[in-house]
Amino acid sequence: MTRRGEAALVGFAAVIAALGVTAVNFSRSVGVDATAVLTLVVFVVAFGSLHLAVREWAPSAIPYLVPLAAFLSAVGYAEVYRIDSSLGSRQLWWLIASAGIASAVLFLLRGRGVSVLRRYRYIFLASGLGLLLLPLLPESWPLRGAIVNSSRLWVRLDLPFGGTLSFQPGEVAKIAIVVFLASYLAERGSQLAAMTSRLGPVHMPEPRQLVPLGLAFLIAFAVLIYQRDLGASLLLFALFVTMLFAATGRHIYLGAGTLMIAGGGLVAWRAFDHVQTRVTAWLHPFDDYLGSGYQVAQGLFALGSGSLTGSGLGVGRPDLIPAAATDYIFAAVAEELGLAGAFAVIAAFALFTAAGLGIALRSRDLFRKLLAGGLTLVLAIQTILILAGILRLFPVTGITLPFMSYGGSSLLANMVLLALLLRISHEERT
Amino acid sequence: MNRPLRRLASVVFVAFAILAAGTTYAQVLAGPGYRDDNRNTRAILDEARRERGVILSADGALLAESISDPSDPRSFRRRYPQGPTYAHVVGVAATILADRGLEAELADTLESGRDATISGLFSALTGDDLRAHSVRLTIDDRLQHAAVEGLGGQRGAIVALDPTTGAVLAMVSAPTFDPNGLIGLTTDLGDALENDPSRPLLNRAIQETYAPGSTFKTVTAAAAIEVGGATADSLFPNPAQLALPGTTATISNFDGETCGPGDEVTLAVALIRSCNTIFGVIGMDAGAEDLIATAEAFGFNDAIPFALRGATSAVPDAESLVGDLAAVAQTALGQRDVRATPLQMALVASAIANGGVIMTPYLVDEIIDADGDVVDKTAPTEWRRATSPATARVIGDLMREAVDSGTGRNAAIRDLAVSGKTGTAEVPDGPPHAWFIGFALMDTTSPLALAVVIESGGDLGDDATGGGVAAPIARQLIETWVALIS
Repeated sequence: MTRRGEAALVGFAAVIAALGVTAVNFSRSVGVDATAVLTLVVFVVAFGSLHLAVREWAPSAIPYLVPLAAFLSAVGYAEVYRIDSSLGSRQLWWLIASAGIASAVLFLLRGRGVSVLRRYRYIFLASGLGLLLLPLLPESWPLRGAIVNSSRLWVRLDLPFGGTLSFQPGEVAKIAIVVFLASYLAERGSQLAAMTSRLGPVHMPEPRQLVPLGLAFLIAFAVLIYQRDLGASLLLFALFVTMLFAATGRHIYLGAGTLMIAGGGLVAWRAFDHVQTRVTAWLHPFDDYLGSGYQVAQGLFALGSGSLTGSGLGVGRPDLIPAAATDYIFAAVAEELGLAGAFAVIAAFALFTAAGLGIALRSRDLFRKLLAGGLTLVLAIQTILILAGILRLFPVTGITLPFMSYGGSSLLANMVLLALLLRISHEERT
Repeated sequence: MNRPLRRLASVVFVAFAILAAGTTYAQVLAGPGYRDDNRNTRAILDEARRERGVILSADGALLAESISDPSDPRSFRRRYPQGPTYAHVVGVAATILADRGLEAELADTLESGRDATISGLFSALTGDDLRAHSVRLTIDDRLQHAAVEGLGGQRGAIVALDPTTGAVLAMVSAPTFDPNGLIGLTTDLGDALENDPSRPLLNRAIQETYAPGSTFKTVTAAAAIEVGGATADSLFPNPAQLALPGTTATISNFDGETCGPGDEVTLAVALIRSCNTIFGVIGMDAGAEDLIATAEAFGFNDAIPFALRGATSAVPDAESLVGDLAAVAQTALGQRDVRATPLQMALVASAIANGGVIMTPYLVDEIIDADGDVVDKTAPTEWRRATSPATARVIGDLMREAVDSGTGRNAAIRDLAVSGKTGTAEVPDGPPHAWFIGFALMDTTSPLALAVVIESGGDLGDDATGGGVAAPIARQLIETWVALIS
C-alpha cells in the first residue's frame, strides 16, 4: 500500500465518523445537520494533517498505522457523540490538538530521529515518575490531584481566565516510561541477560541486576495503594516485565514478574477494600447488583442486548452503563453495533499491534526495536486489560481504550505513541 | 534479538483471540440471558419512552398524554392531568410495574409502532401508519367528577351509562390512587398500594362483587312477571315474619312490621316498599329454576364483554337450590350466594330502562389517528335481552313509584321521572352495603342508568340504608346530568 492508499483510508475513516454522527442524529429525529459535516471536516483535518506530516517527515513509514488509528477514533467518536453530544464536540477539539501534537513530534524528530531521545533518558524517567505522582498533589493547590470514582488519577489546573483543565497524567507518563525503559534496556540488556548466579536449579542474573525489577514493582504497588488505580499499576508492571523479557530473552523475568503480579495481587486483595470490591464484582457481579457489581452487570446487559448486529447507533441504551464514554466505550459499541462492530474493533487493535510489533521486529537498532515493541505492547496490554474486564475475563481495571474512549489525555498520549511508531518505522526503512 | 518479541507477539495475539471468543460468548451464547434478565431495564425503558396517543373524555378533557423529555426528544413521559379521578378506568402505563386499566388493554392502539426493528422499518416502508393513535372515551368528564364528589371519600363505586347504547358515562371507584405516582423506576408506591388493606388499586366498579341485596328484587320481580305470569296487581300473603321452610330461621321486613296493612299485598306494593317477606314468597313461588334463569338473562354467571376485565356476577346453580326453599327465598332477596358487580347492577337498571334489552357496555367511543381522523368508532350492539318490553315497562313503573313514594324517595327530583330501587345488603361481619340502582329517561333524550354502592355503610356505618346513603348520591348525579344536557 502506498501513501495515497493511506490518504484514501483516512478519508474513509472520516466518512465513517460522519455517517455515525448522521445515524445518531437520525435516531434523535434530527436528521442531517452541521455536526455531521463538522465531524467530516475535523477528521479530515486532524488525520489529514498527520498524513501530510508523515509524508513530509516520515515518508517511509508503513501506511497502516494512521488509517487504523483514524478508524478506531472514528468509531469511538461516533459512540461518544451518541452517549453525550457535548463530550463529542470536546473530543473533536482533542482530536485536532492531539493530531497537531503528533505532527509536531514528527517535525521535532525529523533531523536526528528517535535516537535523540536516548540522550534524555533520565529526564524521561523523572518526568514519567513525576507525572505518575502528580495526582497526589494536595487538593487545595491550584494544580491539584482529584479523586474520580474513588481513584486518584486526575490532575486539575485552574486556568487564569476561568475554567478548569483536567487531565490524567498517567496516560502520558506511560510513554515517558517506555522511552526510558527502551533506552535503559538497550544499554543494560546484555548484563541483565547474563545468568551468572544460581538459586538451586534456577539460573539467575546477579542479584544486583534485579534491583530495577524490584523498584518497578514497588512503584506499581505504590500507584495501586496511593492512587487506588488497579489499571495503571498493572499496566506499568506488565509493561516493565514484557520489555525486560523482550530485551533479555530470559524467561526468568517473565516467571518472576508473573509471580510478583500474583503475589502482589493476592496481598492487595487481602489488604485493600477497593481491590476486593473489584474482584467480587468480577466473580459475582449479580450478587451486589445495585452496588459494586452494577457496572459489570450493565456492561454484560449491554453486550447481550447488542447481540450479532447491535441495536444501531443511537437506538440502544448505553447511557445505562456507568462510564460508557470512557472505560466502558467497548460495551457501548458492542451494544449498538453488535458483535460485528465489536469484532471490527478487536480486529483493528490486533492489526495495529501486528503493525507495531512488525516495526519492532524489523528494526535493526536495539533501542528502536525496544521502543517500538514497548510502545506497541503498552497499547496492546491496555486494550486487553480493559476489554478483558468488560468481558468478565478479568477484574475491571478502569483504564481507557486507546483512541476510542473519550478523554484528551488518553487521545493525546496515544497519538504521540502513534507518531513515535511512525518515526521508528520510517527510520528502519531508510 | 527477535525471538522474545515473537513470543510476546504470539501471547498478545492469543489474548486478542480470547477477547474475540469472549465477546462472542457474551453477545451471542450468553447474550439472550443478559438481554432478558429482568434486571436489564432496556426493554422496559424502551416501551416506557415510546410515545402514546392521548386519551380524551367524551367532552374533550385530557385524561392522559405523552410529553417528550426535553433532554431526549425521542423519550416520552406519560402524564395524567386528572390524577386519581380516572385512575381505575384510564389506568396507567407504568415503567416497571404492570400497566393498568385502558392503558394496558389498549396498549397496541395507543403505542407508537415506530421502532428500530427490521419489521418496524418494513412497516414504515410499506406505508403503514405506525404513529400513535388517540382514544376518545364515552366518559363525560363532568359526570365523572360529580361521581367522585358523590362518593365523598366513602369506599364504594358508581357506574353510570346510557341504557340505549351501553356507553359508560361515569365509572369511579374509591379509594383511588394517583397514577402519576406509579410511573418511574421505583416500585415503592406500587408496593404500598398493593399492600394497602383498603385496596385502592381495585376497580370496585367491575372487579369487586357485593351482595346486591334488595336491588336484586327487580330481577326477582322480573322472574315472577315474565315467567310466573304475575302482574303488578298480583296478591301475595302478608305475614309479619316469613318462616323459612325446613329451618328455624325467619325473614322479616326492615321495620319488623308487615308490608303495610291487609292480609294480602300486591307485588307493586312489595317492590315499592321493598318488603322482604313478600319477595321471599315471590321467589319461592317462582322457583329456583325460573329465578336463576331470569338472573342469567340479566347477565349473571356470564362475563360482561367490556374493555376492562372484571369479575363475573354470580347466582347459585339452580340445581343446588332445588328443594331448598329457604335458600331460594334468600336468593330472591339478593342475599346468600348472590354477588354482583356495580357494573352488573347498572346493567340491570339499564335493561329495565331500555325495554328489557341490555346493550354491550363500552368505554371507547372513537380511535383517532395522528392526522385527527376517526379510524374506528364503536357502534352500539345488543348484549342480551333480559325481559320482554312489557315486563320492563311494568318494573320500570314500579321503580318510579319507589322513588316517588317508596324506599327511594331520597333520589326524587322535582319535575323529573326517576326510577330506582334501593338495597341494603347485609354482610356477615360489619355494616351493610348501601345500594341504589335506577335510571332517568329524560324524555328518551340522553337517558341515564346508574348503580351506586357504598361499602360497609360508608360514613353512616350500621345505620346506613340504600335509601339513606346511596339514593341521595344518585339524585346528585342525575341532577348533574340534567344540568349538563339541558
